[in-house]
Amino acid sequence: MGGLNAALLIGVSGLGAAQGALDATSNNIANVNTPGYTREEAQLAENGQSESGGQITGGGVMLEGLKSIRDELLNMQIQRQTSMQSAADTESASLQQAQSYFTLTGTDIGSALSSLSSSLAELSGNSTSSSAQQGVLAAGQNLATAFNTTASGLTSVQTAANQQIPNTVSQINALSAQIAQLNGQLAQMPAGQDGGTVQDQLDQAVQKLAGLTNISVTQTNNGETITTGSGTPLVEGDQSYNLQTSTGTGGQLEVLDSNGNNVTASITGGTLGGALNIANTVIPGLMTQLNTLASQFATAFNAAQAGGTDSNGNAGAAFFTGTANLSTAAADMSAGLTSASQIAISSSGASGGNGNVANLSAALTTALPSGASAAGGYASIVFNVGTAASNASTQSTAIGDNLTQLTTQQGAVSAVNIDEETANLMRYQTAYEAASRIVSTVQVLNNATLNMGSGSSF
Amino acid sequence: MTAAGVPDRNGKAAEYLQLLRLLAGEMERAMRAIAHNALPDLEESVESQQRMSARLVALAGELSAPLESGPIAASPAASPNKIDDDMMQQVRVAGDALQALNRRYAALLEHSSRSVALMTSLFNSFQGKFKEASGPRLKHQTWSCQM
Repeated sequence: MGGLNAALLIGVSGLGAAQGALDATSNNIANVNTPGYTREEAQLAENGQSESGGQITGGGVMLEGLKSIRDELLNMQIQRQTSMQSAADTESASLQQAQSYFTLTGTDIGSALSSLSSSLAELSGNSTSSSAQQGVLAAGQNLATAFNTTASGLTSVQTAANQQIPNTVSQINALSAQIAQLNGQLAQMPAGQDGGTVQDQLDQAVQKLAGLTNISVTQTNNGETITTGSGTPLVEGDQSYNLQTSTGTGGQLEVLDSNGNNVTASITGGTLGGALNIANTVIPGLMTQLNTLASQFATAFNAAQAGGTDSNGNAGAAFFTGTANLSTAAADMSAGLTSASQIAISSSGASGGNGNVANLSAALTTALPSGASAAGGYASIVFNVGTAASNASTQSTAIGDNLTQLTTQQGAVSAVNIDEETANLMRYQTAYEAASRIVSTVQVLNNATLNMGSGSSF
Repeated sequence: MTAAGVPDRNGKAAEYLQLLRLLAGEMERAMRAIAHNALPDLEESVESQQRMSARLVALAGELSAPLESGPIAASPAASPNKIDDDMMQQVRVAGDALQALNRRYAALLEHSSRSVALMTSLFNSFQGKFKEASGPRLKHQTWSCQM
């Protein structure tokens, strides 16, 4: 009966193993609709062989524990793509807002330049008309206002990005602390105990963190070590390290690690990377172009004005003022003339002629030091904003498609497949029912065997 | 064998005995398959068990049939219609062993199939989180009591 006893022991171990599989399956089903849940499998291992009476028999099976089915490489790719998409989304949203200040609304810089040109053409044909003179003055004032509005709009986009930076850093610090805590929980779990739920929470927290900044995740004995792009640790085991923000010498926001080192340059992904890029690079770049245009155009127009004589017989005063400081030219630009009579229409040194109107008009069409006319320079800025917004949007869409594909792959690996589990269960059920019929048959056979010994027919 | 080539009762009993032992082996194989959650092995073993059981039932019927009338043998012990005592004893021992194994097999199947049925019903009617009331220890105890 050694064989039967061995079978009994094997059966006992099998029940424990089956229970583990049942726990895993029921947990999988319970979480089939839980976002971020990773399916679990019972990890079974064969018990050692035993020897009885010279006969070696198998020792059955033991439940080592439950294991979540994950593809770490896939998770890493998803984290990286998530980080890139968050950055692209942040930049796209900011650039679309910036783009609205460069669209043709009638009050934008392009429209104002066009109106100024039209009003000068009208003045050229009727230089004594006070309404034509008034038209030029109003168009000039509108152009200055358009520069002010656009500069203010870009500043508001930059301000929003600057506000987003410390908020995002706070979120990163909170998530880092949460991840460190989960790392600690996982490390304290006894070997073999199911850490699937904690691991799922950890994965979700890391995924959120990847959406906030570019990170690198390394598996160590103490759990997951997470660093920023420059290798600055955010989480090491159950210890987290806070990032902080400070204002740099140029007035721009900087991100510092827990030791106070500036790590801004290494943060290129996630919401933080996108906000830093908008606040410190994209908007300042556009602002520089806008200020340069405002300053150079004002200088050229003022020079043309200075070369003529106004209706009062005075040399032309500066038409535009406030553009001396290049870094604030667009924001501070204003019309320096208080009266239409101050427009230097005449070029003869005395009032009455209209020879200088052509010079004023030429300031609009002649190439500025930057190499393009005022309208051309403005068109270049519009093109840059549009291209940047379009690129960010296209990148976001492309990464989104890629992410969808990766998430689908992850789902195939980690998600619970109800159909597959059901099919297996149905097979098990059928097999057990068939086996149960054998049990009944053997019971009948036993009676037949007994009859063989006692029956008169033998 | 009879002159006509038809197996005599001793021959059928020998085949019956061999099948009893083979069926016991198959049951042990099936129990190992259950222990390892090896569904293909279990399915294969059950198929073999079904074939053996069918043959055993047929043989039992033949062996329980009334004796044919014919010439009386010189020695009743050597009659082809009579099962040897020794063979009969081996059949009984093998039958008892199979029956003991069958009880274990039945208990294992019952509790394992109960788990499967539980999971199946879970899939069919799942609407929320499920937690099985009885753990492995309780199931083990139930099974041991039945033994």
